Amino acid sequence: MARITAGVASSHIPALGATIDHGKTQEPYWKECFAGFAWTRAWEAAQRPDVVILVYNDHATAFDMDFIPTFAIGCAERYKSADEGWGPRPVPDVIGDADLAWHIAQSCILDEFDLTIVNRMDVDHGLTVPLSLMFGQPEAWPCKVVPLAVNVVTYPPPSGNRCYALGEAIARAVQSYPQDLNVQIWGTGGMSHQLQGPRAGLINAAWDNRFLDDLVKDPQRLRQIPHIEYLRETGSEGIEMVMWLIMRGGLGPDVRALHRHYHVPASNTAVGHIVLEPGG
Amino acid sequence: MTIENPKRQDIHEYLAELEDIPGTRVFTTARARKGYWLNQFCMTLMKPENRERFKTDERAYLDEWPMTEAQKQAVLNRDYNAALDEGGNIYFLAKVFFTDNISFLQAVGTMTGMPAEEYQAMMIAGGRSPVGLRSKKEPY
Repeated sequence: MARITAGVASSHIPALGATIDHGKTQEPYWKECFAGFAWTRAWEAAQRPDVVILVYNDHATAFDMDFIPTFAIGCAERYKSADEGWGPRPVPDVIGDADLAWHIAQSCILDEFDLTIVNRMDVDHGLTVPLSLMFGQPEAWPCKVVPLAVNVVTYPPPSGNRCYALGEAIARAVQSYPQDLNVQIWGTGGMSHQLQGPRAGLINAAWDNRFLDDLVKDPQRLRQIPHIEYLRETGSEGIEMVMWLIMRGGLGPDVRALHRHYHVPASNTAVGHIVLEPGG
Repeated sequence: MTIENPKRQDIHEYLAELEDIPGTRVFTTARARKGYWLNQFCMTLMKPENRERFKTDERAYLDEWPMTEAQKQAVLNRDYNAALDEGGNIYFLAKVFFTDNISFLQAVGTMTGMPAEEYQAMMIAGGRSPVGLRSKKEPY
């Protein structure tokens, strides 16, 4: 039987990917930011997950203004790194787990989560930067990936409560998959940041750290945070944190934090990272 | 079983709140409709051959799309605040500044009215505090 063994959350800032790709992670500006992922890279090498369900948002890459799915699951065999305007990131193709993805899609739809099914798309920094942060620069990614893209660009995005409940439905789907698989669920994006307008550059370390605390202590509070609070307190792009709640919902009522990292800034953004294990 | 949101929000109140944040244009469906062609133009810059054509003659390239003159001027001037006002979204507009070889940090800084070094220094010092910038109606 497949089982979700861990949850990982992390920011997916494009500059982190560019810094890795250009071999600059040890420069003074970046050193401390990347140091917080060393623990996780060693831990992932020992965990050897078979599949990562990777919750991220597409940044006007696979989905333009013609199609805006709220929740879209990738059911393809493989995905290429997208050209976002400066050429594709030099990373391996992402290999899907089409069998598991289709199983999750069918299970979730029967469970009243009407996911959009995607059979062809390129994946942008939202998906590839977390892979680089956790796995470094291998010839091939060490596991398969099921991409789950969430609309957090055009308002309204899904509520935090809906995201949490989707995570619970994904966990039920994984539990009913007959193959013996070590599955992780990752939530990406955030933390506080605003990339637009005169208020750009907003960071709220106190709010972010309370969010990190309550992923463990009080996730029921987090699922009730309204969009307007994310906007006021964490900047217009802080809303990406609803995707962390899909990850958290997939882990069950109680979790233990294995590792946590917070750093300001990376480019315009507060970097947050946490590794969680189901059980108290 | 899924838990339904106990407090379903009124859509009109929800949309009104989104306009109450200083210095911020939340990408609502109204902005998405207004900016449809501006944003779709940006998507075409994901192909290297289109980036080359755009760089060769920006005006001619922009004229291929049914954009408003204000939208075209915002792009030509790289005035990202104006582009947001015309319905642009930052992730679409990123295709323009990536074509220019400009980073998110540099492009975003131009919207704040601060010199680039000052904006970068503010970020390194911990970023902009939300204090006083949470609401237009009742600043706190």
